[in-house]
Amino acid sequence: MKKTLAIFAHPYFEYSTTNVELIKAYESSEQLIFKDLYEEYPDFHISTFRERKRIREYERLVFHFPLIWFGLPPLLRLWIDEVFDMSWKAESNHPLMNKDAIIIVTIGAKKENYQKEGLYKTTIEELMKPLSLSLSVTGIEVKEIIAIYDSDDLDENQLKETTERIKKTLKKYE
Amino acid sequence: MSDNSLAHTALIFLGAAIIMVPLVRKLGLSSVIGFILGGIIIGPFGLKLTGNDSADIMEATEFGVIMLLFLVGLEIEPRKFWVIRKKIIGMGLGQMAFTISILFAIFYFAGWRTDKALVAALCFGMSSTAIVLQTLKEKNIFRTDVGEASFSILLFQDIAVIPILAFLPILAKTSESNESQILLQLLPEWLQPFSIILGIAALILLGRYIFVPFLRYVSRSGMNELLTASSLFLVIGVSELMNAVGLSAALGAFIAGVMLATSEFRHELESQIDPFKGLLLAVFFVSVGATINFFVIMEDPMFIFTTTVVVLIVKFAVLMGVGKFFKLKLHQNFLVAFGLSQVGEFAFVLINYSTNLYLLDPKLNAQLMAITAISMCVTPILLIINEKFIEPHTQKTKKEPDELETSEKLQKIIIVGFGHFGSTVGRLLRVNGISATVLDSDSDRVNLLRSKGFKVYFGDASKAGILRSAGAENADLLILCLDNPEKNKFILEYAREHFPQLKIFVRAKNRLDAYDFINNGVDNIYRETLGTAVNMAVDILKATGMRAYAARRLGQRFMVIDKAMTRKLAKEQLKDTVTFTMSEYLDREAELLAEDSHSFDETQWNEYEEYQN
Repeated sequence: MKKTLAIFAHPYFEYSTTNVELIKAYESSEQLIFKDLYEEYPDFHISTFRERKRIREYERLVFHFPLIWFGLPPLLRLWIDEVFDMSWKAESNHPLMNKDAIIIVTIGAKKENYQKEGLYKTTIEELMKPLSLSLSVTGIEVKEIIAIYDSDDLDENQLKETTERIKKTLKKYE
Repeated sequence: MSDNSLAHTALIFLGAAIIMVPLVRKLGLSSVIGFILGGIIIGPFGLKLTGNDSADIMEATEFGVIMLLFLVGLEIEPRKFWVIRKKIIGMGLGQMAFTISILFAIFYFAGWRTDKALVAALCFGMSSTAIVLQTLKEKNIFRTDVGEASFSILLFQDIAVIPILAFLPILAKTSESNESQILLQLLPEWLQPFSIILGIAALILLGRYIFVPFLRYVSRSGMNELLTASSLFLVIGVSELMNAVGLSAALGAFIAGVMLATSEFRHELESQIDPFKGLLLAVFFVSVGATINFFVIMEDPMFIFTTTVVVLIVKFAVLMGVGKFFKLKLHQNFLVAFGLSQVGEFAFVLINYSTNLYLLDPKLNAQLMAITAISMCVTPILLIINEKFIEPHTQKTKKEPDELETSEKLQKIIIVGFGHFGSTVGRLLRVNGISATVLDSDSDRVNLLRSKGFKVYFGDASKAGILRSAGAENADLLILCLDNPEKNKFILEYAREHFPQLKIFVRAKNRLDAYDFINNGVDNIYRETLGTAVNMAVDILKATGMRAYAARRLGQRFMVIDKAMTRKLAKEQLKDTVTFTMSEYLDREAELLAEDSHSFDETQWNEYEEYQN
């Protein structure tokens, strides 16, 4: 497995049942470091330079978060704002060079709502555009977006299946 | 006993302990064996130093037991009772019922008279609180499953003494007239069997309306010696009172202890009596050794030793069975069964009581006493056998980490000082259902806070011993919030030396104090204001396992509410300005805080909006 940094952001994780299970996918490997942004920066004071130094050490980033009002959790949004730098576009050896990324997003609503003809008339891929575009512009290739719909109502088996799916995806792009 | 001979006896007892215990410890044996051996050596059948009158020795024994049971009682909180109630009733009742019926059957078929067989079985159902608690403490397994199981069984036995003591006179069917029981005689005859219940009820009333206010009155004088004096006065007084109504003095002291366990003086009393504790235990064990009547043993050694062995085997088997039913692991089960297989000090009390009721003749009394004492001597040896020969086979994974076995997973927190700073921390913790042991040395404030439902104890934490009795040995976090930086520093150094496992949070007055604390190796330092008190509480919440962001939110919310409350209180003309905030506001605030700010409940929001304006 590639050296992976899983960046997890959930403002109300203590009330979550789904993600508690899903993050078990990151437990086993030594190649994978799990980082919980809300645990690390509860007062939103992000240590930008430390973050930039740290992401250099990894070949892959995993972004794992719940969809909040059709967007990213605020601290993850802030993290990207503070850590990423537009001027990297022009640099040849910046912190995000030659990495790939996987986006894992949990969504409370049903899949059919996120269709062109559905309730919101927008797809998850479109909603993830600000993130995936930020990544691809800085040279990161987004390998896959795993959208987990109906996430408040998954039963035990579905949770296990989803966890397995995350594990498999992590292995898939070597 | 004249004063002179009391001092004389004390000298001999202590001498025996001082000489024998280090010797025995060098051989790697438990101190209990040393005490008992010392007792045998100085006893009537060794050097005859204690005088030939065994009544003298028994008196000393009983006094040791009285003090010990007071301390045991002090450790038993009604709340603790409730948590392990199923174990207490299940294991305790199982152990007692099976032991008593099997022993009774054996004695009965061995040709004893029915009442004698029953009395002996009842006496032998008891185990030794003193030996077991001492062993658990020495092995540092008090909070493990083994500790809990042993404690539950012992506790049940302690309680069972009450009905047994009530039952024995009924069995004897004699209304014995004893000069010490004049009070009892005043009662109408039909009430006499209920004297125990009446005695206990009287004790509870006395405790609530006389003892605790009395201690409060004494503590206001600020002299610690007076507190020591009054606690001793209390124990001895209660024992005498119980004697006067014809009950066991030891039982009285035990109940007095339980009665005071919920009072704010619990830890202070414990630390006052703690220095005596070791001493009293020594006296107790030495007198057990000195009480063994070798003449009685030599007269009929077969009887004594077979009975002892039978009792030990029956108790061991029953305990193994009960432990298995309650799903103890094999090695734990062996430890509990060996540990509790002896006959305990309550048996001394019961045997003497039965003899007074003419249920037992003096010879049988001496024999039963000898059996009890021998079984107590055997326990440490059995435990060594268990450790050396049985444990290696039963415990598959050698040395399992102890934490895995502890049943109490909650973190234990001690807060020292509950003024403006400490109470802010305490309030924020309380809202989150985290209870802490709080020590404060202002008796008026302690009284006020207790009436508001805080668990605060009276005590000066800068005094040696009080931290230990507040549970510092098993605690995880120590929060020092005293106003006086020198005192904080003193306690900090003491705690680091004696309880190195403690994670310490400390309040600092200014930068200079902070330097000192940093140089002392403390990481968690809070320079004081409302903000830092809240920050400290937030960090403590994190240390207890709450999510960082959730703790942060709560801290912020607390500040908003606290500021609003303060503003409101300042505007109001208060009838009497209490120590920090009015109680109703405390409750209000607790209610508001109980909801996370993540709540979408509009009424909650409105309510504290109202306080802000």
